[in-house]
Amino acid sequence: MKPNRKSKVDPITLSVVRGVLETTQREMTLTLEKTARSSVFNLAHDYSTALFNAKPEMILQGQDIPIHLGSLIPAMKAVARYFGDDIHDGDLILHNDPAFGGSHAIDTCMYKPVFYKGKLAYWTVCKGHLTDIGGPVPAGYNPNAKEIYAECLRIPPVKIWDKGKPRNDVLNMIFTNMRARRDQEGDFNALIGACQVGERNLLAMVDKYGAATVDTCIDELLNMADRHMRSLIKSVPDGTYSGTAILEDAGHGLGDFEITATVKIKGDACHIAIKSPPQVPYFINSYEGNSHSGVYLGLMMFAALPPPYNEGLYRCVSIDFGPKGTLCNAAEPAPHMNCTTTPMETLTDAVRLAFEKAMPSKVAASWGHANGLNIAGRDERSGEEFVTMVLATIISGGGATPQQDGWHAVGPECCFGALTSGDVELLEYSYPIIIHRYSLMTDSGGAGKYRGGSGTAWEVEPLYKDMLCIGFGEGRRIPAMGAAGAKSKLIDTKVGRVELKRKGKTDVERKNILQTIQPGETITNMNPGGGGYGNPHERPVDKVVWDVKNGLVSIKGAREDYGVVIKDAKSLSVDQDATNTLRGGAQ
Amino acid sequence: MTAQYRLGIDAGGTFTDFVIADRKAGSIKLFKALSTPSNPTKAIENGLALIAEHLGRPAEEIVANCDLCINGTTVGLNALITHRGGKTGLICTAGHEDSLEIRNGHKEDGYRYDPEYPAATMLVPRYLRKGVRERVLADGSIRTAMNDDDVRDACRLFLKEGVETVAISFVWSVLNTKHEKRAAEIVREMMPDAILTVGSELYPQIREYTRSSTAVANAYLAPVMRKYVGAVDQYFQKLGARQPVRYFQSNGGLAIGQVMTDRSVYAINSGPASAPQAGLYVCAPFKKKNVITVDMGGTSFDITLTKDGQTNLNKNIDFLRYRIGVPMIQVETLGAGGGSIGWIDSLGLLQVGPQSAGADPGPACYGQGGVEPTTSDANLVLGYLNPEGLLGGKLPLSLEKAKAALKRIADPLGISAEQAAYGMFTIVNNNMVNGIRRVSVERGYDPRDFVLVGAGGATAAHITALAREMGIDTIVLPKLASGLCAFGQTISDVKYNYMATAPVRLDNDPAYKRIDTLFKEVERKGIQHLEKDGFTKKTIGVKRSLDMRYVGQVHECTVDIGTFDINAKSIAKVKEAFHKRHEELYTYSERHNAVEVVNIESTLYGYIDKPRLPKLAKGASIAKALKGHRKAIFDAKGKGARTPVYDGGSLGAGATIKGPAIIEEVTTTIVIEPGWTARLDASGSYVITNKRKTGGR
Repeated sequence: MKPNRKSKVDPITLSVVRGVLETTQREMTLTLEKTARSSVFNLAHDYSTALFNAKPEMILQGQDIPIHLGSLIPAMKAVARYFGDDIHDGDLILHNDPAFGGSHAIDTCMYKPVFYKGKLAYWTVCKGHLTDIGGPVPAGYNPNAKEIYAECLRIPPVKIWDKGKPRNDVLNMIFTNMRARRDQEGDFNALIGACQVGERNLLAMVDKYGAATVDTCIDELLNMADRHMRSLIKSVPDGTYSGTAILEDAGHGLGDFEITATVKIKGDACHIAIKSPPQVPYFINSYEGNSHSGVYLGLMMFAALPPPYNEGLYRCVSIDFGPKGTLCNAAEPAPHMNCTTTPMETLTDAVRLAFEKAMPSKVAASWGHANGLNIAGRDERSGEEFVTMVLATIISGGGATPQQDGWHAVGPECCFGALTSGDVELLEYSYPIIIHRYSLMTDSGGAGKYRGGSGTAWEVEPLYKDMLCIGFGEGRRIPAMGAAGAKSKLIDTKVGRVELKRKGKTDVERKNILQTIQPGETITNMNPGGGGYGNPHERPVDKVVWDVKNGLVSIKGAREDYGVVIKDAKSLSVDQDATNTLRGGAQ
Repeated sequence: MTAQYRLGIDAGGTFTDFVIADRKAGSIKLFKALSTPSNPTKAIENGLALIAEHLGRPAEEIVANCDLCINGTTVGLNALITHRGGKTGLICTAGHEDSLEIRNGHKEDGYRYDPEYPAATMLVPRYLRKGVRERVLADGSIRTAMNDDDVRDACRLFLKEGVETVAISFVWSVLNTKHEKRAAEIVREMMPDAILTVGSELYPQIREYTRSSTAVANAYLAPVMRKYVGAVDQYFQKLGARQPVRYFQSNGGLAIGQVMTDRSVYAINSGPASAPQAGLYVCAPFKKKNVITVDMGGTSFDITLTKDGQTNLNKNIDFLRYRIGVPMIQVETLGAGGGSIGWIDSLGLLQVGPQSAGADPGPACYGQGGVEPTTSDANLVLGYLNPEGLLGGKLPLSLEKAKAALKRIADPLGISAEQAAYGMFTIVNNNMVNGIRRVSVERGYDPRDFVLVGAGGATAAHITALAREMGIDTIVLPKLASGLCAFGQTISDVKYNYMATAPVRLDNDPAYKRIDTLFKEVERKGIQHLEKDGFTKKTIGVKRSLDMRYVGQVHECTVDIGTFDINAKSIAKVKEAFHKRHEELYTYSERHNAVEVVNIESTLYGYIDKPRLPKLAKGASIAKALKGHRKAIFDAKGKGARTPVYDGGSLGAGATIKGPAIIEEVTTTIVIEPGWTARLDASGSYVITNKRKTGGR
């Protein structure tokens, strides 16, 4: 794309300012990651940092975990609106309320206004997934909640520092309502530290280059992102495209739901309308802030843009989340805690599908949805109770792209590779468990000319005494959506599920579970693979054979999914005639 | 009789640098020969011929007169980059065959939505990762005895498939080595020709994925290293070398050939790892122990940091997309070199690198067909480089071609070629500054407390600008800069890392005892090893460190401790060291909270005496060294200023030159920006200082 010659900005300073902003964001991120206690922070990278100007417009988002993609934009605006002109140097604002621009309440945000020469110039903001946010169930996920009041402590925008003075009474009230106070204090310190690091760097930059120059550069960076997204949207033929994805009943008994995204393209502008059913008394409702992320991720799967990300990208995009009180535009008092995975991934799929219809060969396949396991019990070694979300259990397969196979073990979709899972030895050291298996799964990647990435299986046994396993997730019946005509025949191996081995018997569960297991019994949590891309019969035979050799596709899978007939299990030699027949001569 | 020479050979991608330190003449000389990757000893032969010619005596005589011949090589690195290691098999715990491919479920930052960014190439394909039924638990006890037949089955498959190198890595083998040892016996018996890497021996630290990945990388590189080391050893033996060749490792120390074969993974980033040694050495005359080294070559820019004489190390990092556990000198590498290309990105922003014009076609000004504007082209247009050519005119430069290349970015941006040149210079410097922050600010250090040492041929043109941007006020730029890494190898010690794992909370006597015993055990092994190599009590040194964290934390931090007995009394010192390091890194400590140790490590040094730096004589007045003037640009407007140019070779000790000025050495050109003053020290380095407080962020 051509640079704008009319711009008054010196192009060199512009590049330098961009570099300083990125370094600033990186150092904020590092501060959070290295000092936080919550493993959801420092391993799952379930946090984001952002810089805003005084308006406030987001000028840079860091740590691009899709769960947070763009969701700080409505939150920041809501907070700034709430305080109006009552914002002062040294203030620090805390906020998590989903009904007031937040995503889910356990993602807690810290906002620091940055003043330069007595004037509000910027905001440094960060958001992170804490280990607890009060409420009846540890770690926040309460499947029995019928209302948000039964889930967590809601924090509307509240000053925890007032003109540089910590409001200990307010902080004390908040911590008093949370479990593991020491960890929460530590994580709050990490959030505050990150905001301060950001402030320090921004002020140094303004000192060096001057406020007017920096602001002109930032405006230009926003304009550039705007022009870039518009040029991409312009490449899509004008028209209306719609995609519908199904949200499976995860065990709540309310049945399947449909989420539809309608994308209207006109010139360089894009309007996305979401249609979803009325909200439900189960924790899968998504308030507007979280739904932003779901839509933006679908948009990003089309745009496939490299960083940096700023608000300019979304100027040409308008979104209608549907009437208040629906699943993707929830209203108080809808329970919501599971929303960052369910229904977000389904919402993303609907948007992705609409864009695929608009640009059939450009858009990659869907990724496997999250199927996770929380474990809880008593550790005989220390006599202490333990409860944790096991990140290693939610690793699904990546979707295939128009260029290549999907990555193995890089999902779920709502994290898009941002997450890191812990080491098997570190887990066994920290919890009284034995992990029998952590592996890729045969036939789990969606079939296609380019194969979807493999999902993972994680098999666990309690070591000394009983352990509670809480499973959550979605995508247990319908596999990850393929693209460009990809379709699998073997479905059972490609979806999420839980295997329970007990007294020589294996039970397969395809809903959210709450199970207690004993030593000698195991639970295997299985995550779906990613969707494939293109007609599987067009996948070169040697690639299919190589996958069979490596145990990623079975001989049965080669035949059913890819139309490749292997006649000898040992040599893996291919029956060419039978293969040609199955593939309809389309070799 | 003390030998007259010490020889250092640093094989890089394009050039192999040779350093010969002559004790008798008190000189250190630098030579360069083209690298010959297909036949590495060829480049050594060519380089030795150059030295022989210069010294007027045959190569055999020189080598026989060396106390040590030292070699740094990139063969391991290249094998890892090009995926040309040996055919490798992995024997692991059943159910855990895929940790290498799951890679903690992570995709690298910055590529999240990129549909074309490929998955990492597996060094061992899945069908050659064979699970064995066996299990050790987190307390070291055996839950399931090993099934020997599973190991035999794996060997049979490996033999059939032509596997030449095998890694064995089991879950919790660090706490109980029985199964790995037994599996190794079976592999040795069934595959006597295969090279074997055992995870718990190579990298006895907690974290299965890291250990398996490190073992696999080691196994993968071992055949390549064995072949290389064999050829070089034999070559030097034939020449009559007194001692076995010492090879340079990425931990910053030397090792004999056998170690390089057994622990090949220690070879992977050895090239830039000698910079800290060299940096400390050239700063010694000024009593400076806080040193940041920057080394700008043709395609990359390498940064290291040393605080109080201790160099930053990395452990458990992704290197070329593979998880490597063993300690390596922390080298931050950026795609910013003389050949880095300026371009306009999809947003319309000017960027420099990481793409490089490389050696072929090279920068546009080399006139070898390059048309893209590179950093060197920018430096030529800015008047920093001599338009008559580099290397004393041996490499002619075309100002016209450089300008034409710069127009490619200047025109769309609506600026002049000169402004574009200064723009590229500014942007590449800022990229480098951001890189320097990664080794300093991100590690809890303020770069302004450090001396900046320049190495590599292209650095000197940027060095004052870099220091200005960082707020650093002292630069040391040795005349040897372009061969500083090769020199660094000749002044390095033998260094081996010995590790053990001890996940214990520091609140009980048995825990202290265990750590104490482990330290003493690994050090006994290490001392034996070094004694066999001819070192004595006097020439052996030990340094200890512990990986520690607060209970409940996920990341550890490495804490250096002294070599004292660990017991109920001394443990307070250990804990205090941890709290302090935590504060340095993360601004706070939690003295009331429980502390645990995860891993222990002893570094064993075999000290080697160092050649001395030459002493420069006092020179005549600097006017004698003045070659003339040329227009050089020092600001964004692109206006040139008449700038004096000096011949570095004619300057003597004590010569003082005020910026703006340019000093031309044979292998590097030093740009002194306005405000800076360079003084040539008798030790052979320019000390460049700025009294004014500069910016920095």
